[in-house]
Amino acid sequence: MSRLVVSNLSINRAELPVVTSVDLIAESGAISVVLGANGAGKTTLLEGLSGIIPVAGGTIAIDGRELQNARPGTRSREGLAHVEQGRTVFRQLTTDENLRVSLHPGADMAEAYALFPELLQRRAVKASLLSGGEQQMLVIARALLTRPKVLLIDEMSAGLAPVIVTRLMTAVRKLADDGLAVLLVEQFAALALSIGNRAYVMSRGRVVYDGDCAKLRQSPDELHRLYLGGTEVPAEAN
Amino acid sequence: MNALLTSAVAGLTAGGTYALLGVCAVFTYRLVAVVNFTGAAIGAAGTFVLIALYEAGFPIWPSVLAGIAAGTLTGVAVGYIMTRSFGEASASTKAAVTVALLVGLIAIGLRLTGGQHPHNMPELFPGSAFRLAGVEVTIASVLTIGLAVLFTILSDLFLNRTKVGLNLRALADRPMAAELLGVRVQLLSLLVWGMTGAFTTFALMIIAPQRSPNFMTLSLLVVPALAAALVGVFRSFWWTLAGGIALGVVEGLASSIDSVSQYRSAIPFLVVLSVLLWSQREARWDEAR
Repeated sequence: MSRLVVSNLSINRAELPVVTSVDLIAESGAISVVLGANGAGKTTLLEGLSGIIPVAGGTIAIDGRELQNARPGTRSREGLAHVEQGRTVFRQLTTDENLRVSLHPGADMAEAYALFPELLQRRAVKASLLSGGEQQMLVIARALLTRPKVLLIDEMSAGLAPVIVTRLMTAVRKLADDGLAVLLVEQFAALALSIGNRAYVMSRGRVVYDGDCAKLRQSPDELHRLYLGGTEVPAEAN
Repeated sequence: MNALLTSAVAGLTAGGTYALLGVCAVFTYRLVAVVNFTGAAIGAAGTFVLIALYEAGFPIWPSVLAGIAAGTLTGVAVGYIMTRSFGEASASTKAAVTVALLVGLIAIGLRLTGGQHPHNMPELFPGSAFRLAGVEVTIASVLTIGLAVLFTILSDLFLNRTKVGLNLRALADRPMAAELLGVRVQLLSLLVWGMTGAFTTFALMIIAPQRSPNFMTLSLLVVPALAAALVGVFRSFWWTLAGGIALGVVEGLASSIDSVSQYRSAIPFLVVLSVLLWSQREARWDEAR
């Protein structure tokens, strides 16, 4: 079932088009991976989806409810969670306090600690003193406690050791297996494709590939060509 | 000696007010990241609603409540402008905007209240509370200091023991991250502006009879308030409280010494200058090395 449906979305920065006519979906129980070189528009796309920056055109709907004009807080309460790039923990709050900020009705702190037991022994530690991996776990766990329907994750592997990235990817896969719709923006294509279901590749603000993750993983040459932003290929029909 | 003590004790009322205004300034800065130059002007707006109603013959305590409500609403209005139009601006831009709003509020306030026209400001808490070393300590002194201490304690408790306080601390650290988690950022920001507006108004109502109660004079009490906040480095409520009270006492002492009494209004500026120079000492040492 499609939880997030994005149609013909365009986003500008400083009045210049950065994302143009993007269509994508994120389905319950699946991970949609968004790939692309630096500057392709991936982060701008997520910021437009969560309402950090306004969209110039198109629609964003969760379970049929259009949210493109709503404030970020409203989108969050409608079930859209965004794990931003850069591990945006509340630095002066402890791990436990970070989680309590996001605790929505019906959510339980135990869910967060069950996903990342590593955080349990660090619950009284200020978030600024956590390691990079622990901070990334914390922001994912924090987003989980908002009871999201759709989880947007931006570059969670940036600056982290491979073993931590694998740990995080496993956790994200588990969230999807539990029914969450995940939209994952990632630089490390191979790893993301290995846990993803559907892949989108962006180049110069447009989706130039829309298809199956497994298929793209088996065609490294095509992925390489798409990454380099070479010849634009038509999006695969579904 | 007794004259000095009398002057120092006389400065306690002003000190309590500076402390409360300073603590409100720190509260606003820590939670919504604004160095607020309009703090005292917001309080002055509420105080002049009290004066207008009192002069029109309304009973005193309902007028006080109406004044506090007006101060709260003025605070919320200023907060609305700041959060709607300058929410993502830099700290220096926000500070500059509050300076512009201060000028605007003073202009409107002076126009509406008849400029320097003397007003009949009722003394809310007349009389002496107790004697200290032979000097009368007024109820107003005890009340302003008590109010400042109360606000400091309540601020600490509110921020550290309640969910709303926790959300405010998150909001102060990363406003967008907080909003992305569904924290009602605008509502909480307006709550901060409203709360500080109410406390500031009540403090100014107590101190106004001892000052020349015109809109400009009351609005410019923001200078000693920000000096007190600087003593607390815009972080510590307790250091700000101590700084505000000390500032009032020093002003009181200065008023009893003939050679310096005419310069006592410059004392807050000296404090600001001293704290800024002190805070830069490490940079200077680093440069020298």
